[in-house]
Amino acid sequence: MARHKEKIFGVLAQFESSQDIFRACEKVRDAGYTRWDAHTPFPVHGLDAAMGLKPSRLPWIVLVAALTGASCALLLQWWTSAVDYPLIIAGKPLFSWQAFVPVTFEVAVLFGALGALLGMLGLNRLPQHYHPVFQSKAFDRASDDKFFISIEAQDPRFDTSKTADMLRSVGATHVEMLEE
Amino acid sequence: MSHGHEKKTLRLDEVTIPRNHWWNTFMVAGAVAGVAGIGATFALGAADHHQLYYSYLTSFMYFLTLALGGMFFVLIQYAARAGWSVVVRRIAENMMATVPVFAVLFIPVVLGMHDLFHWTHAEAMEDPILKGKESYLNQEFFLIRAGIYFAVWIGVALYFYRSSTSQDTTKDLQTTRRLQAISAPAIALFALSITFAGFDWMMSLDPHWFSTIFGVYTFAGSVVATFAFLAVFSVMMRRAGLLGGVVTTEHLHDLGKLVFAFTVFWTYIAFSQYFLIWYANMPEETIFYRHRWENSWANISAFLALGHFVIPFFFLLPRTIKRNATTLVIGSLWMLFMHFVDLYWVIMPNHHKHGVHFSVIDVTAFVGVGGVFLASFAYLTKRHATVPLGDPRLPESVAFENF
Amino acid sequence: MVSVPKDFDPRTYDPVEHRAPLVLGDHDFHTVTESIARPVEWKPPIGWYLVLAASLSLLGLFGVAIGYLVWEGIGIWGVNNPTSWGWAIVNFVFWVGIGHAGTLISAILFLFRQKWRTSINRAAEAMTIFAVMCALSFPTIHVGRIWLLYWVFPIPNQMAMWPNFRSPLLWDVFAVSIYGTVSALFWYTGLIPDLATMRDRAKTRIRQVVYGFFALGWRDSNRHWQHYEKAYLILAGLSTPLVLSVHTIVSFDFAVSQLPGWHTTIFPPYFVAGAIFSGFAMVITLMVVCRSVFKMQHLLTYRHFENMAKIILLTGSMVGYAYAMEMFIAWYSGNPYEQFAFLYRAFGPYAWAYWIMVSCNVISPQIFWFKKARTNMAVLFIVSIFVNIGMWFERFVITVTSLSFDFLPSSWAYYSPTIWDVACFAGSFGLFLTMFTLFVRYLPMVAIAEVKTVMPQANPHHASGMTTATGGH
Repeated sequence: MARHKEKIFGVLAQFESSQDIFRACEKVRDAGYTRWDAHTPFPVHGLDAAMGLKPSRLPWIVLVAALTGASCALLLQWWTSAVDYPLIIAGKPLFSWQAFVPVTFEVAVLFGALGALLGMLGLNRLPQHYHPVFQSKAFDRASDDKFFISIEAQDPRFDTSKTADMLRSVGATHVEMLEE
Repeated sequence: MSHGHEKKTLRLDEVTIPRNHWWNTFMVAGAVAGVAGIGATFALGAADHHQLYYSYLTSFMYFLTLALGGMFFVLIQYAARAGWSVVVRRIAENMMATVPVFAVLFIPVVLGMHDLFHWTHAEAMEDPILKGKESYLNQEFFLIRAGIYFAVWIGVALYFYRSSTSQDTTKDLQTTRRLQAISAPAIALFALSITFAGFDWMMSLDPHWFSTIFGVYTFAGSVVATFAFLAVFSVMMRRAGLLGGVVTTEHLHDLGKLVFAFTVFWTYIAFSQYFLIWYANMPEETIFYRHRWENSWANISAFLALGHFVIPFFFLLPRTIKRNATTLVIGSLWMLFMHFVDLYWVIMPNHHKHGVHFSVIDVTAFVGVGGVFLASFAYLTKRHATVPLGDPRLPESVAFENF
Repeated sequence: MVSVPKDFDPRTYDPVEHRAPLVLGDHDFHTVTESIARPVEWKPPIGWYLVLAASLSLLGLFGVAIGYLVWEGIGIWGVNNPTSWGWAIVNFVFWVGIGHAGTLISAILFLFRQKWRTSINRAAEAMTIFAVMCALSFPTIHVGRIWLLYWVFPIPNQMAMWPNFRSPLLWDVFAVSIYGTVSALFWYTGLIPDLATMRDRAKTRIRQVVYGFFALGWRDSNRHWQHYEKAYLILAGLSTPLVLSVHTIVSFDFAVSQLPGWHTTIFPPYFVAGAIFSGFAMVITLMVVCRSVFKMQHLLTYRHFENMAKIILLTGSMVGYAYAMEMFIAWYSGNPYEQFAFLYRAFGPYAWAYWIMVSCNVISPQIFWFKKARTNMAVLFIVSIFVNIGMWFERFVITVTSLSFDFLPSSWAYYSPTIWDVACFAGSFGLFLTMFTLFVRYLPMVAIAEVKTVMPQANPHHASGMTTATGGH
């Protein structure tokens, strides 16, 4: 991908606390970087705003999925009970919408839940087999107790030495280059 | 969004309603509307006692369920040791503390007993089924029970109201501990009293009909309306600068979520009742829905399903609607309206069996009881700080943010 | 801000001016990870193998009982006319009920911002999935000819027939299987970051590959966390009505009928309250044990148990309310069949079961009015066992009493289970315990990432957390 940057993926900086990474993210955001990310062992409250992220579009995906599920279920029940295999049961009308509420609701939830998980994975481009941040030995602690910022070489403001210096100046305790 | 929540200490004058504020006019207007409305109700209803008492009972139940919903809100906040809600809790406390007024407003229901409740008639007891219920459905026990309900409600309401308002100045942590401890048994008393009040004052209008879920149904409607009322008054008082600037979008968002959640809860309960009766199809039960699915009542039934569930569900679903004060108030006012439709739909078909018949007395009764309720509410709001100043969790509530 | 005193007693510490800590002791993020990962990474003690062996023997019993059932038919059970639903349905409802606390703890408590859930939600969700597996096995074997089970699904077939969507039993098929699926999705979503933690800590290649495979390449990215948190919130929002709907639909199995004692409108919320009640009881039973075996006292604190005890008290009282409403309305209805059904429940030949139910479900939890009982592990454990027993009996009372006294007195019969009923029920515990024993060995039983969010140093504005000065490089 990054041909002109000689296979440098970017820079990875380690921070020691959620307070430090929070302020560092604000600084990186204000410095105008766009292709960068924070890595934290747990979701840090308010970090989305500190990074300047836009709200997730996931709710819309889920809404569409759930409505699709409800429509499919209702359609299935109507077609099987009232059209393809019409049979009076318990003196109820062939299309008894009341009796179809439970299954319609359940299938809506099923589709919505699948939409939520798969939509989340899709928006996150997961599963992903490999990512350059995993080269770093220190990064193993990203899922434990350390906090990281990675800035990609493709970012227009990226400059190997200046970006690293900037990260150190905002409190990084360890900075390393990542190869593609 | 500010970082590091700098501690804000509220001064009493920031949360006190000023002398010449329009809130006083609001209170007086409520009182005038109350007297005029009740007067007009009785004047117009002199010719038609049935209409008079049915209209009155509908509005009485409407505003009583608001007051009781306020009580539930206060009790549950203490029981759950909630932090977020402290800044809006005083509004609910003021709703709750209007309960003694309802003991007085209950007098017309007693006067109208004979017009409202078929089982008070001697000839009703010739029916063997009603005869079997005589030990419960008789006038003496009915009045004793009403006395017990009001004793419980007034006792709980005044105890919590006085303790909480006195804490404004004492700032005593012990008050919170005591109220937390007592809130759980109070909830048990509340649950039983609202259940049997629902049985007595609404379900027994048709003394043959019965439903075990009816108490929960009464409760569910009451709670939706209460959250809606809280949302409306939080926004209104915040805009008027009466809440010391501590009620934020975050609190409104939470109230919006509660209106939404309990709209769904009401639907769940209402559908469960309807569905089981529809499916089993037993005549002694289906009669309730038959009355409401024949002639023009069918329109009200359909409107109830649409207006109490479908419309508010999709309207209140997006986050932005609940975080915008104007849209939140629109949704909440709609739910307050639908709660009235709900009670009208429960109560009125017992009188107008052959179709919907709107009456001007419906309006005068609503204005009358509502005026008295709002005037009492406004008066109580004026007497003390609009925010519980002495509550130890006030700073937590002020700093509260949704995730 | 008032600070937490250093030497507080976690049993009695309940301040109103601030919140008691949810992670006790002098822990940082790393030690929390260590303490949760330890049971997954250690060589398990002999006790673990003993529990696994015992569970596997019960599971073997389940296998034998099912094998014989398939061979011989459901005649080996005590079911017959008029009591055509016996222990199998009782066990089904019992397990589904238990399966409700997991998703409830995760979903409803999440929506209500009950932060204490973070220490117990993972194990409770796992328990949910295993309980749903047990629950599903009973209707599956109850059909007798289990090779025809596919008839319950809307699959085009050579008979040109479709399942009956107006039958509550079919709603059950959808409700319980979807509940199991969504619970598993929700559980897995919560596990992804922790699987990444296990991957990053892995000492062996096989662990790294397996945990890494299921971690999907999770790299703790905040751009990911953003969508992840939204997905979690939505899943919680979807699961909350789902939890309610599933036990509601289970209650419909009974309540849409016209049978006295079954057809009553309070059944949906009453069943839901009962399910939450029994589910929390099972969580307490398991957590009291796990807490001491896996040394989780700093994460499963007295406060967690106290809150659960309060929910037991609340839902137990709701169930008591429902019993009272049923009794009152049965009398008030003036319907002689309804009155008879409830009179026989309480004073007929099954009165022993009814009073066991009332004592265990309504009376025993009342001890939780006392704080001393709520913070005493022995009392918690014993009451939770009582509740489990009582809730099994509740389903027994509902199922059996109404069926055995039907509208035709000549067909009345007293229902007794056979040895195979007992074997199936005991065997289902084998399935449940085997799964749970394997779970605590191979997956982190506390949500590592989530529990860190409730520690004070997780707050990005926490004053004492500044470890480095900015701008001074």
